[in-house]
Amino acid sequence: MRKNPSLRCLLALAILCLTSLVHSQEIGSPEDPQNLKCVTHNLRKMVCTWDVSSRRRHGQTDFCYTTNDHPLTECFKTKEKRVEIPVPESSTTIKITTNSISGTPFATREFEIRKKDISFIPLAPHILSLTPDFPTSTLTLKWSDNGSIFPYGLDAFWQIEILRKETMEKVTQVTYYSKLTHEDIILSWNWTSDMPLECTSHYVKIRCFINITQFVGHKDWSDWSPVEVSPGKDTEPHGSGVFPQDTVVAVGSDVTICCVHEEGQQIKRMTYGPEVYPLIRLSSRSSAIRVLNASASDTSGTNVVCSLSEDGMDGTVLFVGYAPDIPQNLSCETSNFELIKCTWKPGRPSGLYGKRGTKYSLFERISGKNVSCEVNEMNKERVCGFPVLGDQKTYNFLLGVSNPIGQTEASLLVDISQRVHPKTPEKLTVSGNSSTSVHLRWFINGSFAEIRLLCQIEISNGHSEQKLHNVSMPGGKSSTYTAQLNTLHPYTKYWFRVRCSAADHFWRWSDWSRIEEHTTLEAPPARGPDIWRERSPSGKSLKIFWKPLSLSEANGKIVSHEVSCYLLEKPLEYKEVTEPSNSTEIKLGRNDCVVSVVAKNHAGSSPPSRITTVELPSDNVKTDRAVAMGNGIYISWNSYPNMTCGYIVKWCHSSGSEPCSVDWQKFPSNTTDAVIKSALFRPGVRYNFSLYGCKSSGYQLLKNITGYTKELPPKRAPNFTVEETSSDSILVKWEDMPIEDCQGFLEGYRLSFAKGEKDALKPRLLESGNPELKVKNITDLTKKSLKILDLQGKTSYQLDLQAYTAGGLSPPNSLYVVTKEDSVGLIIAILIPVAVVVLLGVVASIFCYRKREWIKETFYPEIPNPENSKALQFQKNICEGNKTLKTLEMNPCTPNSVEVVETRSAAPKIEDTEMMSPAADTVVPEDGSDSETENHVVVSYCPPIIEEEISNPPMDESVGSSQVVYIDIQSMYQPQIKPEEESEIDLVTTAGYKPQMQLPISALKIESRSPAEEESDKTAGYRPQANTNTWNMDTPDSPGSVESNNENASFGSPCSINSRQFLLPPKDDEDSPKPSNIGWSFTHFFQNKPND
Amino acid sequence: MWECHGAPRGDGRRGSPGRGAGVVPFVALLLLQRRPVAGRALLVNGPGCPGNSLCRANVHEQTRKQVALLNATAQDLFSLYLKCQGEPFSSESDKLCNPGGIFFPAFHVNRTSEKKEVMVAMYKLFAFLNASLGNITRDQEELNPTAKELLDRLHNTTKTTRGLISNLTCLLCKNYNVFQVDVSYGESSKGKSTFKKKQQGCQVLRKYVQVIAQAARILLPHLSPA
Repeated sequence: MRKNPSLRCLLALAILCLTSLVHSQEIGSPEDPQNLKCVTHNLRKMVCTWDVSSRRRHGQTDFCYTTNDHPLTECFKTKEKRVEIPVPESSTTIKITTNSISGTPFATREFEIRKKDISFIPLAPHILSLTPDFPTSTLTLKWSDNGSIFPYGLDAFWQIEILRKETMEKVTQVTYYSKLTHEDIILSWNWTSDMPLECTSHYVKIRCFINITQFVGHKDWSDWSPVEVSPGKDTEPHGSGVFPQDTVVAVGSDVTICCVHEEGQQIKRMTYGPEVYPLIRLSSRSSAIRVLNASASDTSGTNVVCSLSEDGMDGTVLFVGYAPDIPQNLSCETSNFELIKCTWKPGRPSGLYGKRGTKYSLFERISGKNVSCEVNEMNKERVCGFPVLGDQKTYNFLLGVSNPIGQTEASLLVDISQRVHPKTPEKLTVSGNSSTSVHLRWFINGSFAEIRLLCQIEISNGHSEQKLHNVSMPGGKSSTYTAQLNTLHPYTKYWFRVRCSAADHFWRWSDWSRIEEHTTLEAPPARGPDIWRERSPSGKSLKIFWKPLSLSEANGKIVSHEVSCYLLEKPLEYKEVTEPSNSTEIKLGRNDCVVSVVAKNHAGSSPPSRITTVELPSDNVKTDRAVAMGNGIYISWNSYPNMTCGYIVKWCHSSGSEPCSVDWQKFPSNTTDAVIKSALFRPGVRYNFSLYGCKSSGYQLLKNITGYTKELPPKRAPNFTVEETSSDSILVKWEDMPIEDCQGFLEGYRLSFAKGEKDALKPRLLESGNPELKVKNITDLTKKSLKILDLQGKTSYQLDLQAYTAGGLSPPNSLYVVTKEDSVGLIIAILIPVAVVVLLGVVASIFCYRKREWIKETFYPEIPNPENSKALQFQKNICEGNKTLKTLEMNPCTPNSVEVVETRSAAPKIEDTEMMSPAADTVVPEDGSDSETENHVVVSYCPPIIEEEISNPPMDESVGSSQVVYIDIQSMYQPQIKPEEESEIDLVTTAGYKPQMQLPISALKIESRSPAEEESDKTAGYRPQANTNTWNMDTPDSPGSVESNNENASFGSPCSINSRQFLLPPKDDEDSPKPSNIGWSFTHFFQNKPND
Repeated sequence: MWECHGAPRGDGRRGSPGRGAGVVPFVALLLLQRRPVAGRALLVNGPGCPGNSLCRANVHEQTRKQVALLNATAQDLFSLYLKCQGEPFSSESDKLCNPGGIFFPAFHVNRTSEKKEVMVAMYKLFAFLNASLGNITRDQEELNPTAKELLDRLHNTTKTTRGLISNLTCLLCKNYNVFQVDVSYGESSKGKSTFKKKQQGCQVLRKYVQVIAQAARILLPHLSPA
């Protein structure tokens, strides 16, 4: 080949051609058809399209294809770049030749289209309809699946897109699945909007995807269908309102509520109930609010109000509630085999009422019958009736429950013959003319022919427990039923009532019928009365007692008792005692007989009760005490073998002034003790029982017993008195207490005593907690006195006496006693002073006797010449001591405060002195100053010797005060009183106490006294024995004394009785004025010489 | 304050409906009309008044008491009605219950008006009220079945109104020989939304409270024993 250059050139050309050919196949020229694509919409035909990149004008294109299963080539001319050819089984060879307008081929290209190169895209679905349901906010979309063009059984997927508002916001996109059936099927799809459809426009479009697995090519979604619209109210020219209207939603739902208004209006706010919610703008004429998790609304719903401009308001009501609860306690029964009544409890309330309330229906599955139930929403229990179907016993009920939010059901399988609840028996009647049986009739409404009834009769007679009597009987159709009741008690009022149920399969009793009353007839008393007898104390008459029969024994109303007395079958006495007496007396003398008592009622007589009157003698009958036991009295006795017919315990009830009523109780002969009980027993009352033994020959008193049902404290304490009192003891005595006051067996006395005065405010002795309280317990009941020893003399004691029983202490009786004084001590206390006085007297007597001469000479000289009286021998310097004048010795000289005043006035001349108690009176000077009292000269003096002349100034003298001791000088000097002054003096001296010295008192002075003072003077118990006003206590040189007009110029000496000296001025000096300040004092007296 | 739901209170303010001697006419026949309806009410079942036997002796006194009773209970009824409708009826009753948009019979009489004119106006008023109260009662029985007190008050007011109409009938016949009166009834609430029913009842009752007070003032002097 290397040697042949031409061959080399041919080879190179061939390679070039081949390369060029290959290149033309891959890239092609601008006129070459390119991008051949084949798409099928129905798997039978496919649409093939291609491109030509050149922009040159083309003529028709030759299109030829050859499928491998069809060897012939199909060619045709087309002006488009799109042809529809059959879908090949495996592949198709396509030859496309582009031509110029003149028909000259530009380019030819062949394509091989295999099946996998073909795409399958269904045609866009066509929406047949879009229907809005406004109340439910539901859109219903309908379209055809075009299934007829596809093989059977292909899976089709439909993608639906929802858009809303003017801006077509996508709300949701869902995929719907269907299967193609090789038929054109109209598919439907519902969508519930969360927004009312009235609020704004909603749009819907749809596309599909058919999943054909055999197709190996590319499969894809179809195009979207044209949009279908559901216009909102905001698109209507005058559409407005708040939506949704009267919608019911479940609690917890999210709800959108919109307000559509007319053009030009504005929404101010929207409220849900009381709350304002934010607005969500939907369009220019529509806004909404979104309520999340809505809570249950009120009965009348929750108001949603849209407030518009210009005070426009619109609104709607939303009902938020619950789906119905599952019925509880579903139960069905029949009361008459005509109607089945089913009851149930509704469970949780739905919160929806009226037409939105829960609806019930009863569906019976076996028969297929359905009834709707009219129920009362106000009742807690729901009731629904279903008719009984002939020949059907078993019912399979399905109770359907629904409301706008949801529904539920409950079922019950029931055999109605086992659920019989008869109605209340009616028309109950009781009849009978027997004393022990009655006939009852009643009526029950209902058809019970196929079952037996069990009826229960309640029998009650008021004093015994209710009895139930069951009667089974065949049922009937609205029948009357009867029953006979026997073994009733005569003459007894009974109350009857009836209820019934099914006998074989008990379910429930009916209600009780009304009560019917019936009294059985009388019958003779069942037994004779219980009797006893007692002879009168005289023994001539016999009193017979009987106890009334009980109602159950009397068998009727007892009208009388026949009492007869037989002696050897011979009647001695006969009496008929009418009710209500329960005793009678018959005269027997000393005879004995057998007493017979028969009770009679309208129906007959009782068997006789007999008792002999024979009383057997008793020896040595003892009296024992009984023991209280419970509310009775326990008594016991020895066994008496010869008492063959038992024992009788007899006692007597005494109530107040009425004679005691005899009661008794019989016991069999083997009894040796008993507890006697009686409703008449009272605590604290003593009862006396007599035990009789019964022999065939008569009754014998065996013993007496006394006792209390309960012992109480004595009502009071015994009366007690103090018999004797000494300085250290008290003897008290007390009386016996009557038995009725004891209220129990007296066990002793308790005497308490302690010191104490009779004082009502003091606590009682026993309550005072007095540590000195002493208690003496006297248990010897025979002792009626007690001497309390070791007491203190002349001391008050409180004594409390109490009696006590087993029931406790009585209230105390109290006494207060004062012990006597100790006489020996008293005597000693008196005798010793007396003896001392006597002794002193004796000594004094002896002394006086021995010194009698001296005394006589000294005090009572024979010649009463003062000059001879040594006692009046005043001598100078007497205070200097004169040993001879012992009585006038001033050693020691006790100074006393004395004011000596010389009185000289025109007033009555009183030559007397008077002493006053400074405390008795104090005259305040008129000028109010107290200088005078301050200027008083208090002098010490030696009273016996006063020789100084005392001037008596004529001036008034103020009254001063001075402490002096006055002495009795009355006996020594009686002042002369002018007659005209007497009356005035009397005025002063009319007080109880009369001074022993009458002093002249000027009328002026008396007038100057206040009436109160006068009254005081009159009423004062004690007065000094001088008119204190008459005392002038001023010193002579005091100013007051100058002005003083006090004519009283006397004073008393506080000195010894032996030293008396009247310091009176001489009478002749009275008229001569003397300086008032010329006074004297005891100091002067002692220091200066007397003014001679 | 009242409780909307539950047992009615025994406050003793329920009026005993007056039982006039006359025939309660016509009103129920036209209750269910959707729009205000004008009608000629036949007061009696005949061409004319039957005579004095139509009225009882105490008809004036009874009528006066009935008006007074309605006047005394109107405000309470209105308040309880508002409470039972839920918010915002109580808080915004002025706007929600504004009676401007509803029909209400004109009541243009005063104390100086002729007695006959007053009686006729009263008759028209209470005929309208009786029908409206019937509508309201029916709506509330459906909407508020548990509001026993409200329902009782509505029933009692309706009964009193009915009795009052009877007495007015007899008075018109007896005193003025009027036995036909043209009356208008309100728009029926049937078929309306719940909110509209509530609102309409509210509007009527509010107007009723206003007018009954005016009626009481005007009617009572005419009915006073002269």
